Amino acid sequence: MIDSYGDPGTPDRRSPARYLWWLLSSQRLRAATGALLGTVWMVLLTLAPYVLSRAIDDGLRPGDMAALSGWTAVLLGLGGFNAWVSIMRHRTMTRLRMDATFRTVKAVVDHATRLGAALPRQADAGEVVTIGVTDVQAISQSLTMTGPGFGGAVAYLLVAVLLLAVSPALAAVVLLGVPVIALTLGPLLGRLRGTETAYRAQQGGLTARIGDLAGGLRVLNGLGGKGLYAEGFRRESGALVAQGYRVGAVTSWVQALGVGLPSLFLAVVTWLAGRMAAQGTITVGQLAAVYGYAAVLVTPVALFIECGYDIIRGLVAARRVTDFLSLEPAPRGGRSAADAPASPSALRDPVSGVEVAPGRLTALVSARPAESAAVVDRLGGFEESAVTWGPVRLGDVAAAQVRDRIVVADNAADLFAGPLRDVVSGRRDRDDPAIVRAVHAAVAEDVLAALPEGLDSVLDGQGRNLSGGQRQRVRLVRALLADPEVLLAVEPTSALDAHTEAAVADRLRASRSGRTTVVTSTSPLVLDRADTVFHLVDGKVAAAGRHRDLLAAEPGYRALVARGDGDDAPDDGGPGTRSGPEARAGTDAPPPAGPRACEEAVT
Amino acid sequence: MSGRLPVAAPDAVRRAALRLVGADRRAFAAMLALNALAAGAGLVGPWLVGRIVDRVQSGGGTGTVDRLALGILVCTVAQIMLSRYARYVGHRFGERTLARVREQFVDRTLALPASVVERAGTGDLLARGTSDVAMVGTTLRDAAPEALTASVQALFILGAVFTLNPLLGGCGLAGLAGIRSALRWYLRRARTAYLDEGAANSAVTEILAATATGARTVEAFGLEQRRIAACREAVEVSRRARTRTLGLRSVFFPAVEISYVVPVAGVLMIGGALHAHGAMSLGAVVAAALYLRQLSGPLDVVLMRVEQLQSSGASFARVEGLAGTAQGVAAAAPTPVDDRIDVAGVRFSYDGVHDVLGGVDLTVRPGERLALVGPSGAGKTTLGRLLAGIDTPHAGSVTVGRVPIADLSPDQLRRQVVLVTQEHHVFLGTVRDNLLIAAPAAGDRELWAALAAVGADWAGELPEGLDTPLGAAGHRPDGSQAQQLALARVVLADPHTLILDEATALLDPRTARHTERALAGVLEGRTVIAIAHRLHTANDADRVAVMEGGRLTEVGSHDELVAAGGAYAALWHSWHGDVPADRPA
Repeated sequence: MIDSYGDPGTPDRRSPARYLWWLLSSQRLRAATGALLGTVWMVLLTLAPYVLSRAIDDGLRPGDMAALSGWTAVLLGLGGFNAWVSIMRHRTMTRLRMDATFRTVKAVVDHATRLGAALPRQADAGEVVTIGVTDVQAISQSLTMTGPGFGGAVAYLLVAVLLLAVSPALAAVVLLGVPVIALTLGPLLGRLRGTETAYRAQQGGLTARIGDLAGGLRVLNGLGGKGLYAEGFRRESGALVAQGYRVGAVTSWVQALGVGLPSLFLAVVTWLAGRMAAQGTITVGQLAAVYGYAAVLVTPVALFIECGYDIIRGLVAARRVTDFLSLEPAPRGGRSAADAPASPSALRDPVSGVEVAPGRLTALVSARPAESAAVVDRLGGFEESAVTWGPVRLGDVAAAQVRDRIVVADNAADLFAGPLRDVVSGRRDRDDPAIVRAVHAAVAEDVLAALPEGLDSVLDGQGRNLSGGQRQRVRLVRALLADPEVLLAVEPTSALDAHTEAAVADRLRASRSGRTTVVTSTSPLVLDRADTVFHLVDGKVAAAGRHRDLLAAEPGYRALVARGDGDDAPDDGGPGTRSGPEARAGTDAPPPAGPRACEEAVT
Repeated sequence: MSGRLPVAAPDAVRRAALRLVGADRRAFAAMLALNALAAGAGLVGPWLVGRIVDRVQSGGGTGTVDRLALGILVCTVAQIMLSRYARYVGHRFGERTLARVREQFVDRTLALPASVVERAGTGDLLARGTSDVAMVGTTLRDAAPEALTASVQALFILGAVFTLNPLLGGCGLAGLAGIRSALRWYLRRARTAYLDEGAANSAVTEILAATATGARTVEAFGLEQRRIAACREAVEVSRRARTRTLGLRSVFFPAVEISYVVPVAGVLMIGGALHAHGAMSLGAVVAAALYLRQLSGPLDVVLMRVEQLQSSGASFARVEGLAGTAQGVAAAAPTPVDDRIDVAGVRFSYDGVHDVLGGVDLTVRPGERLALVGPSGAGKTTLGRLLAGIDTPHAGSVTVGRVPIADLSPDQLRRQVVLVTQEHHVFLGTVRDNLLIAAPAAGDRELWAALAAVGADWAGELPEGLDTPLGAAGHRPDGSQAQQLALARVVLADPHTLILDEATALLDPRTARHTERALAGVLEGRTVIAIAHRLHTANDADRVAVMEGGRLTEVGSHDELVAAGGAYAALWHSWHGDVPADRPA
């Protein structure tokens, strides 16, 4: 049995070949059984023509019905037995491939969790995804060599022995001819793949166009231009047909020769054998047998060569896997490992000048949200930096200790598919009352109420079955439920309407009272609730204090949080807006714009 | 969302398939004829082997063998040539038919009523247009021609045995009866089982992909054990699904393989008896046995493809399903008499149970700026969609110049009302392609003017100007450039009324400011209905409409509403940091 839950073991990462060997040696018995069954299957396959020839020679020709029945019974029994061997081989090999697939997937997933934030820095996540989509397939397919591949080689030798007994000359022709033909067909098939590539690229383009249409149909429904679009599609579709004809011209030859060349070879062998039979060198039954061997040998030889290609592809795929498995998590606390401060302590970022006081609600505001986010990344220990945590350098503290006490929640954070209960629970399971409290604090009651099965409702990957505002609040629920000593939240309310945002700001403050919290935001509703606001300009603290003090004292701050981005004096907002001091940009509201009332409100 | 796109019924699928064959019937007939000839040529070989056996048996010399063997060679070459042209004609037929299928799909998609698309979501449409069309394509290009060729071969082989001796033919056919019942048994179960396996395998891939892309989140929230557990769970589901399909094969494969041997054995015994009584030549029996051994090749191909043909039939049914939703080409609606928009007694519901809008009356005056505010879920966006003609109210009416907005064709609609949302789709193609959608007749000057009006200066620096391709292969517009393209389209469409649904939400302040400058150029002289989650600028509108629970609760100028001290006033004060008495500082 394949154990889905078991540990995958320690992969051999030293080389792709060793990795494949590791996959096999993790299931020695299965691999040996596969090789045995594959061999028996192939050998019996090649024996069928022999039995047929005996039935003809001993039974049919002399009219000996007893011998005929005997040999026919052998043929039938052989067929039945080989059908059983064949399926047992298939079952064993399927399990072997399945085990290799799952072992690789588990090893890769486990390693991804070990790498954590180091993964996106060291590898392209897209490449890791390729492992799951194609490489795993190629790797497990390459293991087929151990069953039918091995059997193919044995069968070839056996036919050689049988043929030598009939006629050494014929044996030479068949034994050399079949591999030559198989090897000739190989490059032909390669050519086929080549011509297909261009076609597939063009076909991909056309598929993308249909995707484009599905995405842009709303625009076309609102603005028209459908005729134009249909015309463009028809043109490209026509071009693909022309390209398809070119592919077809090659493909049809390759396919016809793929079947035809072995037939042609068979015709030549029959000719030679026929002459020998006419000269009396071989019997009529042996003539039929030679015909049968030549026909049957095509299977193991083709299989053997296909296995060769599979192994090449499998090694390439295994290389990607071993490369990924060889990545190391970021070294931490290397030079001077230190323990985290025993009690809640201040976090200081010397680059920006931000200082986060323990137990307080701190807000960061910047015209460029990326600047605030960068500060958060440093404070959260996701970037190499000179940030200090109480008396120690944050970078010297072991990752596990940091993650245990400091949690960074940003809007790019992934929501993994699963029941809502699991999505919001972090490293440990939470009871329902705790979850409901966090849901309340994140003002996400309506999200929960709208889901058919409450906390057991399944969310799609990335919360695709939620709206943007709902996703943001689910992320906030997860962050609040983690209940860390230090919570660093990036733009936690950016997708919410003013009503909800005001409620979130209030409840966030209440639920985090006494704990250290940092939020980045440009919304006055949030900034108003903070104990300290740091106004960042070009990544450095330009002013710090309470929201209302900053509003009064700092014109730049006022301009930023009330209206635009603060580093630009009010202007006429471009052509066509109304005259006067109105018409300045707002952060996110549509534009019947003007700072008139705003200026009234803040003064 | 409810309202999935329909799937074609079996008889509709059959009719559609016959129509496709009928549309190219000459090529189809040629394909059948060439395949038949190729299969015929393929049969001569074993028959000649039988003749060789007979001649050798009766003491024929090498000269006879040479003549017969040459015949085998000639037939084989003929078979290669014939089957090459059979495949080529088949390939061209498949290519043309596939083009018909996908072009028809696009035409039908374009004809879908806006409300149907919005309701079904674009995901289903996307899946049908991409994976289902691709599935039909693979079948047309590979599976169907192969299955057809193999079927013709199998029929010819059986026919040849019948010609040699009807009794042997009948014996061969009877021996194959087992395959028929095994196939029926298998097909009844295979489809769901393989669909399950496919889904389970995708789930495993998905877990791996999600864990790799979300590795930072895994570390941030300590989700390592959860991810590993989820992976093991998905692997177990996949293992069960694969074991189930393996179980199906474990019954089907042996049944088929044994069925291949039975006819050979039968022919040997019966043929042997006939030969012993001098009723049949030795060569005929040998040829019949060799023929039947050959049968396994084409039958394997047919059996392998049958399952694929079956599932591509399901894909084809989904592709054809769009035929049922095509919009009846409505007569062009009358031209609106003026620019006035009236909403009267409008009710609307997505699910037919809960009213999202419960009786809304509103008149939008030409040239005014109206801000629509209120909490999420109040129905602002829904009202915007009705005003833009995407949905039709269930009760009441939404009219422009006394014509129902939803009755206007896109080409009429764009002169009246255009909805601008935060989604800014950039179409594949050039800058020009992207703009001409809104004004197919526009010349270069108008296009450049529209780009200038929205401040898209970057367009002037593109290497090939208006003909620069956009997207992966060419210039990749960033968020604000995409927005400017969308707005340039609006300038070209030149509607008198614009509905802005959170058009600039979620942008950082700097980008938002750029965009609003661009918008300013678009807004000039038009009626503007702005849907806002936030309040920054509501005060600048001529009127503010507050929506709550699907109704308009307050309508008036900013100053009036602030003075009235209602919901709007409360929100306004909190937004601007006026400390209400009940919150401690």
